[in-house]
Amino acid sequence: MALNLKRKRETEASSRKTRKIEDEGDLGLAAEDEVMVDSGKEAEEMDAPMDVSEGDEEEWGGVTDADSGVPLLSREDRTGVKPKKPPTGEELRTIKDAADLFRSSSFKLQIDALLPNVRPKASRLPPLDRFLLSIHTFLMNLPSIPAQHPLEASRKLLRKSVSVPYALPLPAEETNWKVAFEKPSDITLVGSWANKVSVKSKDGFKFGVDLALEMPNSLFQEKDYLNGRFFHKRAFYLATIAAAIQASKSGLNIEASYDSLHGDPRLTKLVLVPKKDESQNDFSKLNAQVCIIPVLSLTSPIPLHRLSPAHSNIRVSVVNTLNVDTKTANPPTPMYNTALLHTLTPKPYLLATYALKQGIPAFADALTLLRVWANQRGYSEGSRMCVSGFEGRGPWWGAVLALLINGEEFQDGVKAKKRKPLGKGLSSYQLFKAALDFLAKHDFEKEPVFVRSQDVGQRFPPAEYREGHAAVLVDSVSLVNLLAGVPLGSLEMLRYDAIQTTETLNSTSISGDPFTEVFLKEHRDLPTRFDTVLRVDLSSAQIRKFSVETTVDLGSAALALMASLNSFIRLGLGDRVRAATILHPSTSCRPLTQAHPSYPDVIYVGLIHNPQQAFRLVDHGPTADEQDQSLIERFRELWGDKAELRRFKDGRILESVIWEVKNADERAHVPGKVVRHILKRHFGLQEGAVQTWQTSFDSVLRLPESISSVYLGSGVPAGFKAAISAYDNLVKAIKTLDDDLPLSLLNVSPTSELLRYTNVFSPVPLPVSIADILPPNARYLSPIDIVLEFEKSSKWPDDLKAIQKIKLAFFERLASVLMESKEDLKATVIIGDGVSTSEILDQSSLEIVTPEGWAFSARIWHEREATLLDRIIDGSDKLLPHIVPKTKDINKGKEYHDAVEAKAVYTRRFIHAPRHHRAIAALCHHYSAYAGTVRLVKRWLASHWLLDGHISEEVVEIICAHFFVKPGRQVGIDIELDESAQHIVPSSKERGFAAVVHFLKEWKWEEGLLVPLYGLTEAPAVTGSKASTSGVWSISTELDKDGHIWTSHGPDAVVAHRVQALAKATWTFLQGMEHGNLNVQSLFIHPTDDYSFVIQLEPSALTRYCHNVIVDSALLSKRGKYANRLNEGSAVLPGFDPARLFFKDLQRMYADTLKIFFDPLGGDRIGAVWDPTLKQPRPFRVLSGFSSILIKKDNEKAKDKALVVLNEKAVLNEIERCGKGLVKTIALRV
Amino acid sequence: MALPASISGFSVLPVSYSPNSTHYIYARAHTGSKKGFDLPSTRTLFLVNIPPDATERELTLLFKQCGAVERVVFDFDAQELNHDDSDSEDEEDEETGQEEAATEQPRKRRKVSKNDKPVVIPLPPRNLRTLRKTGRSAHIVFLDTSSLARALVSPHKMRQWPVSEEPHGLAHYQALYESLRPPLDAVREHADTSINLYEYEVAKSKQKSKYRKGEAIVDEDGFTLVTRGGAYGQTLGGGVGVASKRFQQTGHTAKNRNRKKEKKEKEGFYAFQKAEKQRQELMDLKTKWEEDKAKVEKLKASRRFKPY
Repeated sequence: MALNLKRKRETEASSRKTRKIEDEGDLGLAAEDEVMVDSGKEAEEMDAPMDVSEGDEEEWGGVTDADSGVPLLSREDRTGVKPKKPPTGEELRTIKDAADLFRSSSFKLQIDALLPNVRPKASRLPPLDRFLLSIHTFLMNLPSIPAQHPLEASRKLLRKSVSVPYALPLPAEETNWKVAFEKPSDITLVGSWANKVSVKSKDGFKFGVDLALEMPNSLFQEKDYLNGRFFHKRAFYLATIAAAIQASKSGLNIEASYDSLHGDPRLTKLVLVPKKDESQNDFSKLNAQVCIIPVLSLTSPIPLHRLSPAHSNIRVSVVNTLNVDTKTANPPTPMYNTALLHTLTPKPYLLATYALKQGIPAFADALTLLRVWANQRGYSEGSRMCVSGFEGRGPWWGAVLALLINGEEFQDGVKAKKRKPLGKGLSSYQLFKAALDFLAKHDFEKEPVFVRSQDVGQRFPPAEYREGHAAVLVDSVSLVNLLAGVPLGSLEMLRYDAIQTTETLNSTSISGDPFTEVFLKEHRDLPTRFDTVLRVDLSSAQIRKFSVETTVDLGSAALALMASLNSFIRLGLGDRVRAATILHPSTSCRPLTQAHPSYPDVIYVGLIHNPQQAFRLVDHGPTADEQDQSLIERFRELWGDKAELRRFKDGRILESVIWEVKNADERAHVPGKVVRHILKRHFGLQEGAVQTWQTSFDSVLRLPESISSVYLGSGVPAGFKAAISAYDNLVKAIKTLDDDLPLSLLNVSPTSELLRYTNVFSPVPLPVSIADILPPNARYLSPIDIVLEFEKSSKWPDDLKAIQKIKLAFFERLASVLMESKEDLKATVIIGDGVSTSEILDQSSLEIVTPEGWAFSARIWHEREATLLDRIIDGSDKLLPHIVPKTKDINKGKEYHDAVEAKAVYTRRFIHAPRHHRAIAALCHHYSAYAGTVRLVKRWLASHWLLDGHISEEVVEIICAHFFVKPGRQVGIDIELDESAQHIVPSSKERGFAAVVHFLKEWKWEEGLLVPLYGLTEAPAVTGSKASTSGVWSISTELDKDGHIWTSHGPDAVVAHRVQALAKATWTFLQGMEHGNLNVQSLFIHPTDDYSFVIQLEPSALTRYCHNVIVDSALLSKRGKYANRLNEGSAVLPGFDPARLFFKDLQRMYADTLKIFFDPLGGDRIGAVWDPTLKQPRPFRVLSGFSSILIKKDNEKAKDKALVVLNEKAVLNEIERCGKGLVKTIALRV
Repeated sequence: MALPASISGFSVLPVSYSPNSTHYIYARAHTGSKKGFDLPSTRTLFLVNIPPDATERELTLLFKQCGAVERVVFDFDAQELNHDDSDSEDEEDEETGQEEAATEQPRKRRKVSKNDKPVVIPLPPRNLRTLRKTGRSAHIVFLDTSSLARALVSPHKMRQWPVSEEPHGLAHYQALYESLRPPLDAVREHADTSINLYEYEVAKSKQKSKYRKGEAIVDEDGFTLVTRGGAYGQTLGGGVGVASKRFQQTGHTAKNRNRKKEKKEKEGFYAFQKAEKQRQELMDLKTKWEEDKAKVEKLKASRRFKPY
């Protein structure tokens, strides 16, 4: 009503101030009304839980009660409003809420759209309800079974083909206690299903509908907590029910199987899945499974105080009758106790969650979001690799939220860091964000957490938890440590993921919507997630120090193995890694005949490096004169014979472990090596059982063995460092010649990838001594590009053509004085590329070959050129200065086009290239994995015939940088400051490579990509070439808004699609890592099926054949076909690559006829595709731009139109003719 | 293969590359030179779709039976010349250099007309073939008129493509590599003479030019050309002020650029303005909301919100 009033007044458009105030008052009132309605509704719902907890049949009424799950906002009709009207108060509130309480209003809408998709469909619920009714009746009518000996009972059940899942320590013949069955004293629907907070699982796993069967207290005695007696009784209870359900006369048409929570045989439950029969009770469409969980009532005879983490409840001597004295044989059994406590929790959890759900409107949504987030990252069950320890941890996610909402329990002494409870009015997104924040910041290793409980207080002393468990988060009813059995490595991974997501959500300038990244994308892929991935085959694993106590405490040998794997790997790696995580597929249901769960044979170890520490070569241990001998013992125990006593430079004598590496590549393998060593020493896993992929990735970046051995043997300094020092020496040499030059040298800027660590191959010099040894097709010397800048002078000519000539003069002078000053130095002026005839284009360069065998190619940068070129482009040189040209296209002759081209080259070569070089070099210094990533990606693109010809190397560098730089993060400055973010970036080249491939697979290039490469906030305006570009990729930086500086010549749409297709295929290959069948080499083998024809080149004529991905070492022999010819004249021809020249010529000649592809890194084939439109007959035109052939006329009607098609044969013939001596064969494909 | 003898007025000229592949050149008599480009129409043959690697020698050899060829003008170069003709000032120089320019790579401005003009010593010539774009055209000028008729009459006989001595393939690239690195002496001579020529031309144009620093340009009728170049923002020779560059480009003077325009109406002065503004804000909010919703609906329709 009040709202109507408001609208009316606004249309009057003359409302006085007083009225305005009134309006606002009305609005406020309206809002209050809303709240009232809400709370009324809540009050109604409050009644519901009572029913649930009663445990009668009515409880299922709760499931059908459809109204409560509906989110608050969806009640109003959002779509039925005409857009012209101003929003109503309620709408306004929704909109404001969405904007204020969520990240953005579209984020909120997306959340709303997501939620129904991960929840069970209401329409499919009724059959389940009917089924639950019938199973309730069935269970309540089960006949009692009198007490009997456990083993005898199991034999009886085995006849019904049901085995009893007795856990360790197994009951023996001489036990004097008995197992029995009585109908359950209570049946309750518990867990997430009962509270309607279930979330769909990954990989089509089913919703779990948990039924808690309270076993009558009469079955138990006080001492049942000892030696697994309780679990045996529980197992028998479960098996009896299983047998009854399986019996044909049960009338329930279902499949029953066992499943063990966390793989712990003590926590086995019965899983019921319907068979499809279209009956009333068939709920198979719901994709749910009913789990029967026998639980213990809180009033049972088993005393709670015996179950604290520090108590020992297994007398190992019973099992293991060795002569150990009783005192040491009774260590605490925290895991065992936790398992027992678990059987008490379902009901209290149900109530606690219910209370939260009622108290905080957004709780259910927040929990759903959190679980979707977790599922996408493998913290749940699933058929792909999941993070170890998070299987079946439903309550944990609830507890995290509960912790944030309820706050933390007071701990004696530590009051300062108490977490404050969050407000109850927070939105689901805010709660989710808070949970992530907690997960990102909390260090579970250091600090246990106790959720504040409303009434119970703390049951057990906190210190006991710390003793017994690695990580502690005790639930709100103070019963169970929800993190018991969760390895610390997994929690570190969780923390890492949380940090990553928090950063994604916080970054404002990312153009894309973070929603997809956070909730919709799957993040379980091993290659993009971990820096190092090891595949471990556990089938031959033997724990070196087997301990009966731990095995019994944990419940099975496999769990003990896993736990010890976790702790040893962590111990071995120490601070080398941010997280060391074990991953394995979840355990699945097992048939009733199988008493114990089966465990995966193959696990994966994923490491996230700590780049500062990961690659250190020495692990220091305790000093030799350490007082505490046990420290030394422990160190030696951990490392075995690898530990040695060493004396260091600073005089310390330490126990230490040295990791030997042969080259820089191997240094990146150290973390993997550590894990291998640990696995070998403590678990007897030989080399063959552990698989990594790093070495094969390294090998594609390396020269073939026969070539690199030559360099190693000669002792010539090679590599990036050597190249850079050669560059420095050259600059010094030139600077000393200042007096002999007409103008003094102002600046020398490097622009070569050889000087910024991003060349695929580590640079090598080619002194004459080595050139003689090498085969002719391995004698390529790539020139290093540098740019010279001379001081400004008025003597420079003011004419473009003359400037190019004067550059020649400068080069000539420089060449002469350089050669005079240094013996054996060779300098030659190169007058152009032999293709372009433009006289205003910067063409000439100076080629310098140093005595050490490095080649440089220098160009001169003269700023005046830009102004002069601009004059031609603007057409202002023709007119008198005060006349502004009316139209821009007065003069679009050849001169104009030449100038545009020259300007583009000038901007790229002299403005952008040096700047780009500096930024990339800084990035390489800052992130150790960046250079490797670029090199791998370049190699990958090259081997698929795309680099150079279609995708420039600079753009590859920028795309790779996308994963390292983030907006506002300045490279090279404040290293300490952004340390928190440092480890979010990939720390190994394999991971970086996988990330780039993944990106290229998904990237929609129409949207462009902004990479803040230079870390500038305010970018100066740079006018790039305005010419229309053929490239479709737009990759912009702060200094290149258009994003076409490096992509103006490609890739075009066809090639861009091809990149995407290749990335997809490569990604599928990379996934093979999860099955252990990834062959890295195959990622770099190019499929040639799609080409119209493939030109096979003559390997002996290729100067850089040695760079080929699959080098045939037989062809690298000394005697090539044309070896004698290449040996004539100078032995070293820097930059001479006939194959590339041929490719470039073909590209130019047949630009409109063919799409040509070639691997610039020693490729021996050129692939080409006809332009498909040229195969269609078309009318003859004079300047058609392709070689044509007339087609025969079929009918006379088309007389006046002479049609032509492409003359394929002639073109092939021309190619063969132009490639004489290079082309071996041309293979046509149909 | 029976192919039509002519197409759109062009005779079809089959050229055999190899026993199994035939290239087709389309020939026609050259009709009129459009851009004042000097080709005698009576004895010039216009060819379309010449092989991309064709050299002058090869085309001459191809038409050897028809008669002697005076010169060959490739399409690409012809365009270049046309352009130079139309806008270069020193026409007499260019025209003399034309013939050499058409065939020689790279072109030099070889000036022979005046004795005091410096001569550019060219870089060593490069006897290499130029690989052009495929499907281009060329003009062939015969020595006498009858050759043209002969060339057009009997084109159907298959001819072998003659291959001249300029190297192909690997040898071509090797030779190119060598030729791009001329001896330093040659480079120095070439650079020096080119600069000399440039300086000579600058000096000559200065002499010719009416433009002299500090002197007003007055034409025959006694009008003074107002042009920037004098001191203190005045014209050459003083007298009147001249517009600044910024004014020329934007039309703003330095003064009115800084002053903001005063708004006629005060904002938020009347109550209705405030109300309107508020209403507008709310409307905007709502439109944005609706837009977002539509966007999400669209995404929903594409089943994007199924996370797995």
